[in-house]
Parts: sequence; C-alpha cells; structure tokens
Amino acid sequence: MKAFGKYISKYLLSFFAFALVLLLVNILAFALTFGGIVFREYGSASPANMLEAVAADLSASGISEERLQELNRNQIWAMLLDASGRCIWEVSLPEEIPTQYTIQDVAVFSKGYLQDYPVFVRNTDNGLLVLGYPKDSFMKLTGNYFPIRAIRIFPLFITGILAIDIVLLFLVYYLSKRKISKNTEPIMASIKTLSTGKPVDLSIRGELSEIADSVNQASQVLSRQNQARANWISGVSHDIRTPLSMIMGYAQRIAGDHEASGNIQQEAEIIRAQSTKIKDLVQDLNLVSQLEYEMQPLHKEPVRLSKLLRSYAADLLNTGIPKKYSFGVEISKNSETAVIECDARLISRAINNLVQNSINHNPQGCTISLRLDCSDSTVSLTVADDGVGLSPEKLRELKEKPHYMESTDERLDLRHGLGLLLVRQIVEAHGGTMKIESAPQSGYKTILTLQKPCS
Amino acid sequence: MDNSFLHSKKLLLVDDEPELLKMVSAILADEGFQRLVTAANMKEGIAAAETEKPDLAILDVMLPDGDGFSLMEQIRAWTDIPVIFLTARDEAADKLAGLGLGADDYIAKPFLPQEFLLRVYAVLRRCYKEDAAVLKLDSCTVDFSRAEVDKGGEILPLTAMEHRLLETLAKNEGRIVTVDTLCEALWGDNPFGYENSLNAHVRRVREKIEADPSKPVSLLTVKGLGYKLLARK
Repeated sequence: MKAFGKYISKYLLSFFAFALVLLLVNILAFALTFGGIVFREYGSASPANMLEAVAADLSASGISEERLQELNRNQIWAMLLDASGRCIWEVSLPEEIPTQYTIQDVAVFSKGYLQDYPVFVRNTDNGLLVLGYPKDSFMKLTGNYFPIRAIRIFPLFITGILAIDIVLLFLVYYLSKRKISKNTEPIMASIKTLSTGKPVDLSIRGELSEIADSVNQASQVLSRQNQARANWISGVSHDIRTPLSMIMGYAQRIAGDHEASGNIQQEAEIIRAQSTKIKDLVQDLNLVSQLEYEMQPLHKEPVRLSKLLRSYAADLLNTGIPKKYSFGVEISKNSETAVIECDARLISRAINNLVQNSINHNPQGCTISLRLDCSDSTVSLTVADDGVGLSPEKLRELKEKPHYMESTDERLDLRHGLGLLLVRQIVEAHGGTMKIESAPQSGYKTILTLQKPCS
Repeated sequence: MDNSFLHSKKLLLVDDEPELLKMVSAILADEGFQRLVTAANMKEGIAAAETEKPDLAILDVMLPDGDGFSLMEQIRAWTDIPVIFLTARDEAADKLAGLGLGADDYIAKPFLPQEFLLRVYAVLRRCYKEDAAVLKLDSCTVDFSRAEVDKGGEILPLTAMEHRLLETLAKNEGRIVTVDTLCEALWGDNPFGYENSLNAHVRRVREKIEADPSKPVSLLTVKGLGYKLLARK
C-alpha cells in the first residue's frame, strides 16, 4: 500500500494539471468554433441590436434610408402593428404574411415563428415592431423557461460533473496503468533475472506473448552459451587430469628414488608440489564454472558439521602437513550435534581452500585453527591463522574488487587465486555468508555462516 | 600395519591410456605387487577378468567401447571382487553412480601415488583378511583371530567391543581415526552421545596393551579429533 500511496502522490498532481489543461483547451476550441458565429449573429444584424436600432430610428414616417438598406442587406422584413393588430407600416413584407392580427396571433408568434420566419418583437411608442428574419436563420426556444432552482444549481452541477469526470478519468487511467504494469511485471522481472545471467522461462498469453517468446529465446541463447562455456572448462580440466596424473606419479617416483642424486630428488619434489598446485587449480576452475553457471546441482543432505570437520582435519593430518604448521580443531559444546543441509563434498572443499590459503601465505609456518560455533539460527565455521595477515588496503581490495573470473576489466590483477572465489560461491550456493577479518602480523580469519534449517 | 600379505593379490587394471597403465603398474610393482593384469578397453577387460580371475579390479570410467560402470556390472555378474574406479571426471553424480552400483572406492585423477596405494590397500584389507592377523605394538602383541593380547607372556582376552575398536584403529595404523568413525564402528549409524562410552573402552584397551596406561605410547589421543594406533617400529 505504501507503493500505492507513493504512486498516487507522484502522479496525482501531474494528472490534475493535465485535466485542467484539457479543460482549457476544450473551452478555447469551443470559443474558436462558435465565437465567429456568435459574434456575427450577435453583431449589428442581431435581432436585439436590429430591434433597438430600428425602434430608435422609427417615426411616423417610417425609418431612414440607411436603416432600410441595412434591413434589405440582411434580408429582414419588418412591420409595425398598432394596438388593434393592424399593420400600419412594413418593409419587404413577404406576401404570405398577413397584415391583420388578433391578440391571440400576436401572443403566439411573439414567442416563435410567423409562417416559419423567426420573428422578434419590440414594444415601441408607435406600436409593436416586428422583425422577420430569413427562414432557417435562427432557432427560437418556444418553451423558454427553467425552474429558478435548476438555474441556481446549474454552476454546482457543472462543477460536480467536472469533478466526477476527473475522478473517473483518473480511475480509468490508474486501472489501465495497473493492468499494464501487472502484465509487464513478469517481463521486467525476467529481464532482470536475465541480466544476472540466470535462465528464465516466461509464459504470458495475449498481446505481450511475443515479448515473452523473445525473452525466452534470449534466455535459451544465454543458457546454451553458459552450458558451452561450462562444458569447455569441464572438458579442458578433464583432458588435463590424465597427463597430470602421470607427471605427479613419475615426479614422486623420482623424488623417492634412492638411486637418483639428492639434487634430482629435490627437483622432482618441486615438480610434484607444483603439479599438486595445478591439480587444485583445475579442480577449483571446474567447480567455480559449474557453480557459476549452475550446471551442478548441489547434493544436499543432512550433515553433522562437527563430524565433517573432524573427518577433514584427520584426513589433512593423516596426509601430513609440514611440522612448522600446527593445526587444531575446536568444536563448541552446543554445536556438536548441529546438523545442516549441505553438500558435504563442497563444504570440505571450502574448508580445505581456506586452510591451504593459510599454508600458502605463511611459508614461515603458523598455527591454523578450525572452529565450529552455533547460535539459535546459525552455525559459523571459522578458519583462522596467526600468520602474516593482510594490510588494510589489501583486505579492502580482497573484499571489494571482483575476482578476475567475474570481471570484464582488462587491467586486472591476475594474481588472486581461485580458492577464495570458490569458497564464496560454495557458501552462497548454501545461502550463507563469508566474512574476512585480518590485520598485519595478527593473522587472517575467515568466518563462514550458514543458516540452520527451520525445525 | 604390515601389508605385505596383500602383495600376492592379483590386480586387474583397465584404462585406455597405455602410458597411465604403465605408470600405475610401475607404482604397484615398486610397492611389491607382482601379479598385475592390464587391459585397454571393455572387451579386453571382460576377457581378462574371466581368464585371470583377479582379486581386485581398478577401472577407468571412460573406455573407448563403453563405460567402467557397465564393465563393473558385467564382471560382478559372476564374481564379487572389489572394484575401484579411476576417473578423470570429478562430478559428484559420477561418484554416486559408482558407489551406488557397489564400487568399493573412487579415485579422481590426478592422484598422488601414495594416495592411490593407500586406497588400494584399504580396499584389499577390507576384503581379504590376513590369515594370522597379528599386530605388534610397543609393549604387546595383539592376535585379532583369537581376540587376545600377549603382554610379555601374560594373555589378556579382548571383549567384542575392544576387539572391534582395536581392529578399526589397526586398519588405519599410523593414521588418525575420528571419534565419529570409531563410534560408528562400535555402535552403528548415527551414534550420538557415545563419546563417554568410547572413552571408557579406550581406557580399558590401554590397560591391556600399554605398559603404562596413563602414559600411552601405542594408542594415542589426538585432541579434539580422535585416536591413533602406532605399531612397533
């Protein structure tokens, strides 16, 4: 309803202004059309003026030559009746007009017509002056009376009608506007969805169905392109995997080969470590693209996060991390039994990326801790280290700048890893949020907050 | 845990990439596996499975003449040997398909040799029990087949729970086993709130296997995570 009020206040003024202008235009058009006729008909040849002029000019000897010509010019005939109804003077009186009238005749024609000639009468000292205008030149109102009450409410009536008209107009305008916005709303919503790169399926009947078809087509094109891009990335990462397996396999064999010299073993170890980085990158790249284009449905299931966290930590420690890193898990008492609907594989992946980030950015070693906490409606998972941390500028950059995978800016810093982007995508795909806290020399901390399912 | 008794098992490797077959064979041969059979496609794989009767099949998911899942179904038609999938795809759906059909494990390429070997050993150990399963610890010897601990000549019997606990830890010797995994092994799925019972069992096992139960050297606690069993060096 707030939108409605805003809508009214925004459009009401302009609407009334428009109605006013419309009224003025109407009056002007009316004046222009009828003004000419009215002015002409009510000019010197008008019945009132002519009666006045003729009456003033009238004497026992008739009227002046000038007035006579004026009557002739306007094809007006005239006669003067005395008190007994006899014509005592006339000008161009048509033949069919009688010259003797009873009092009844006068009462009848004075209100209207005489033999279809519209006639106008005026009482003068010399008698009754009658002017006859050409047939069909004037219409006389023979029933020319109105109750005084009707005349008095007439201005009120006009104002009321105008007001009702304006309200009705506005109502029609508002309803049609609402109907249009109701019809266009799904289209606008779809286009908005499209602009975020997500597919839409719009179904509208009627005049706008063509637009809906176009929007659907655009969506299909977009989906196809996204699919192609995701397939491309998936294909490339697939093709890299087998060769990479062999590089990693042989590098490790050489690194563990006691017949090889220490130098060769060390170099093989470097190859192995770097190949592992490529492996993580390939997996991240594929996952990022799958999540970005929503190609991969989440396999959500109820997961006890405490169990997942311990299992991840045990796997990490079992695989072995260098001695300079110490690693701990803290699970608060109330979060021990917290269960979340999530894709366990992806959540593990997110935790792993954060832990690996801490390891990669602190080659001198650090303490990494995983924490699980729980409030009434949320579960928060914290990965923190006590390493070098980030300067405030770097931190702001990390939070605000889009990742190069998501940006069209050419002057991008390509040094950001994919790891954090994937963490954010995974958390967002689960409807959660990611928060980063860091300060120079006082560690780096990422907090993932997930909503508990409503129970 | 000593895995050498598993080296006599015959392994079938099916992958269409000859270079990868060569490398995996080399890794397995280095480790001590002597009986290796390789195949490059589904047809060869089925034939090899029939004639060679392997003890474990390691299959690629994408083969030139079919996919690894249907190859497994065909092999499983006459034998129930364990199967591990090796694949260049890491989509979750594939994983579910593989394990849903009864695959024993699933390894995504690229993999490190040690990770690969760990998985192979884990599957083999689960399926083929050592005849005389004896684990040597710092101050005692555990005989799993007789459920006994020999502590300097003193024979201490293990309860069923203690046996299962030790066995689960022994299968992952040298590795951390989470409390969740242990509780599941002892009490089945969704074991909530058994942590105290687990602690009690661990305490009793330590009394049997440790020289000084208050200073354990074989069954170690990993704070916040679980336990780890160390064999005698």
